[in-house]
Amino acid sequence: MSLSSRMVTVLTLVGFLSGGFLATVGQLTRERIALNKKMEVERAILAVVPGASAGRMIHEEKDFTVYAGQDKDGQVAGFAVYTAGTGFQDKIVLMLGLDASLSRINSLTILEQKETPGLGAKITDEASFLVYWEGKDFRQPLSLRKPPAAPPESLSASEVNTITGATISSQAVLQIVNSAREKIIKLNEEGKLNPEGKDAKQNRR
Amino acid sequence: MPSKTAAEDFFKGLWLENPVFRQMLGMCPILAVTNTVVNGLAMGLATSFVLVSSSFLISLIKKLIPSQVRIASYIVVIATFVTIADRLLAAYFWDISKALGPFVPLIVVNCIILGRAEAFASKNTVGRSVLDALGMSAGFILALFVLSSIREILGSGAFLGFRILGPWFEPWIIMVLPAGAFITLGIMMAISIQVERKRKRG
Repeated sequence: MSLSSRMVTVLTLVGFLSGGFLATVGQLTRERIALNKKMEVERAILAVVPGASAGRMIHEEKDFTVYAGQDKDGQVAGFAVYTAGTGFQDKIVLMLGLDASLSRINSLTILEQKETPGLGAKITDEASFLVYWEGKDFRQPLSLRKPPAAPPESLSASEVNTITGATISSQAVLQIVNSAREKIIKLNEEGKLNPEGKDAKQNRR
Repeated sequence: MPSKTAAEDFFKGLWLENPVFRQMLGMCPILAVTNTVVNGLAMGLATSFVLVSSSFLISLIKKLIPSQVRIASYIVVIATFVTIADRLLAAYFWDISKALGPFVPLIVVNCIILGRAEAFASKNTVGRSVLDALGMSAGFILALFVLSSIREILGSGAFLGFRILGPWFEPWIIMVLPAGAFITLGIMMAISIQVERKRKRG
């Protein structure tokens, strides 16, 4: 066999075997990876809506999904909003928990972020950031308190703390929550937040 | 320096030819993922898996590959193992996979792996290649471990995620940033060169 045909044969064979192998591994792990993602969203829904035992998707668009958290009797215990926006370095994905009347934030969980470790990444920190979002008034836009204050009770009902040294990341989260707020209010006015509505589906994410 | 015994094939990776401190390969992951010990170790283990598997396979098929297309073939082999490692991490170690983010796919371009394939696995028997890869992996993990320990202790006052320094300690934020990685690596490199000089002098 000439050299060039040998080169072609070997490279083709290597590529072919590698492709086949990867297809197999991809096939074998695909379900588990999808399950991991789904579990993560489900866990986050139950974490931000106290009293909920199941999540039902009631509205979906790009980077913005609303779930109704239902208790055992099927009553709406609150809403969970899966939303995303631009952070300092990359997309920040978060889950926002609201009470059933959309007037109060239950809690906030960050699902994905690539902010600066030690600075912006503190947006995932419970004690210095996330706790300040709990119980905030959702009927008006939120604002940042700078410089930060402690304890959580010392801030007003629409104020959340800024992280020292990470104003941009704090603002990014605020921006994401405030724009989610506008969308939610609009959806509610249009009557699209009904868990029995035609858009509603059992959580399939 | 050519090694003769199986023990030498393995142990040279730890110090004499340590991939990080002696060969200065794999700097990208060393700098990028050593801000916590867990990330450093996970990266080390994922890289080891790829390094050992690809050294084994490349050494096994070295006679079949014409030398003109060897680099392309090695890269395909390495990329295959990297993708497998990436998928397995995502399937079974979801949290670690999320923390390592884009760095796992980048193992493909980690020069240690292609370097060992080219310098060792393509010229030696399967057994020796695997030993060499294991030794290099151990040396790489060791370097990642030392660096990430220093950075996590000084940068977060913690080790393996547990706070070990009291509240009096103000974490040096620079240590978890890329600049801290360069500083730590530079100091480690200086120390290792100094130690090696002393050792050579007798």
